[in-house]
Amino acid sequence: MNDILEKIALCVEFGKINKVSPYPPDMKDQDGADELAKRALDEGTKPDEILDKALVPAMAKVGNKFSRKEIYVPQMLMAAKAMNSAMVHLKPYFQSGETKRKGKFVIGTVSGDLHDIGKNLVAMMIEGGGWEVIDLGVDVSTEKFMKAMDENPGAVLGLSALLTTTMENMKKTVAAIKEKQPGSKILIGGAPVTKEYCEKIGADYYSPDPQGAVNYLKQLVS
Amino acid sequence: MTKSTFHFEFNDLNLSVSQIEGIIGYKEGEDSALVSGLIGEILKESEKICNIKAEYIIYKDILFNYADKSLNISEINFQIKRIVFSQIKGSDSVVVFLCTAGKEIGIKSREAMHEKDLLRGYIYDVVGSEIVEAAADLMQNELEKSVISSGKKITNRYSPGYCGWYVGEQHKLFQLVPDNYCGIRLTPSALMDPVKSVSGIIGIGEQVKMNPYTCGLCDQKDCIYRKKRQ
Repeated sequence: MNDILEKIALCVEFGKINKVSPYPPDMKDQDGADELAKRALDEGTKPDEILDKALVPAMAKVGNKFSRKEIYVPQMLMAAKAMNSAMVHLKPYFQSGETKRKGKFVIGTVSGDLHDIGKNLVAMMIEGGGWEVIDLGVDVSTEKFMKAMDENPGAVLGLSALLTTTMENMKKTVAAIKEKQPGSKILIGGAPVTKEYCEKIGADYYSPDPQGAVNYLKQLVS
Repeated sequence: MTKSTFHFEFNDLNLSVSQIEGIIGYKEGEDSALVSGLIGEILKESEKICNIKAEYIIYKDILFNYADKSLNISEINFQIKRIVFSQIKGSDSVVVFLCTAGKEIGIKSREAMHEKDLLRGYIYDVVGSEIVEAAADLMQNELEKSVISSGKKITNRYSPGYCGWYVGEQHKLFQLVPDNYCGIRLTPSALMDPVKSVSGIIGIGEQVKMNPYTCGLCDQKDCIYRKKRQ
């Protein structure tokens, strides 16, 4: 890996967004993921190299550290912010089709539930895994999930719930999607959700943490 | 039925930056430079935006059903399950309480999330949760003081959704309080609005006690109370 890609990866891993960002203190006044990604493109680095050799592996490191409880939610959020600052420069290449994402991922918190922190963490880690994320927000009806899945053929669906009452709405959504698109893949998560519940309602995968979701998607396209 | 209402000032709660860092997971001595300034800023702002209130009603017409480990309060049956039942069964009256940090801090969290400032949104959320828990602690202290002269004690507070008590029973709990009690409403999916609110029951009696170790009785691994204790 060349020097600039290594630097971008380090910035993402440790949450260095841009030059003016004071965090982390030992990288103060240094260029962040924002400036470095722009410079890499200006110097001729291919956008998919930035994605695959810097951003995706850096976010995977962050996700694994979080799974091992070596870092906390704030560090993960800062890493995602740094990744997004680099991703801004890649967006035109995604739009033009010059750089391809690994796939599309539709995510939302199910009907009746307004909790979004867990869902947001998963969304940003999956975006960091190189996927295009379509975030439908919170309190999402089955109909809205179905519409998004219709509009994005082949997308993987992620459902989140924080309450045992709203978790029941996952069942309804999974049944409706599976009936219309039997081949679709659905992963679920949230505090009350378990592997057993996942099997019971016919979803494809349960992940207790964001990196597990990223690894599952990676396995789907490998 | 005895009713009580409390309005708490933010400063009554004595929340500190290090306390919030601890809730997030930081251990003493760990580098928390990333969040300490932001937590301080949000705690300061919370002083202005929070509307902290707690209310409770004491019910004496209660009945413990040993066969199914349930509790009737004013003829409404609560399937409180084994853990809560074991802690509260010696009570001669039961308090139904609600407590809130007000609407604003939840709105601030959602707004920050919407603007993609996830860290700020997350800190608002954690601070909001801590405010309402600290306020519920104060309310509980007041309740304890009010019963101690008659030789009685109180239990821990227990909420639907914890210790195996199904969260959907919030609907039954809200039947025992007037509409919009404490400024809180319940959504059909049993979410409280404002989101930074807590509800539950506390037992009162000569034969009950506070138990600092109830987490050991429960298998809910992601519970905020377990995390706090760790």
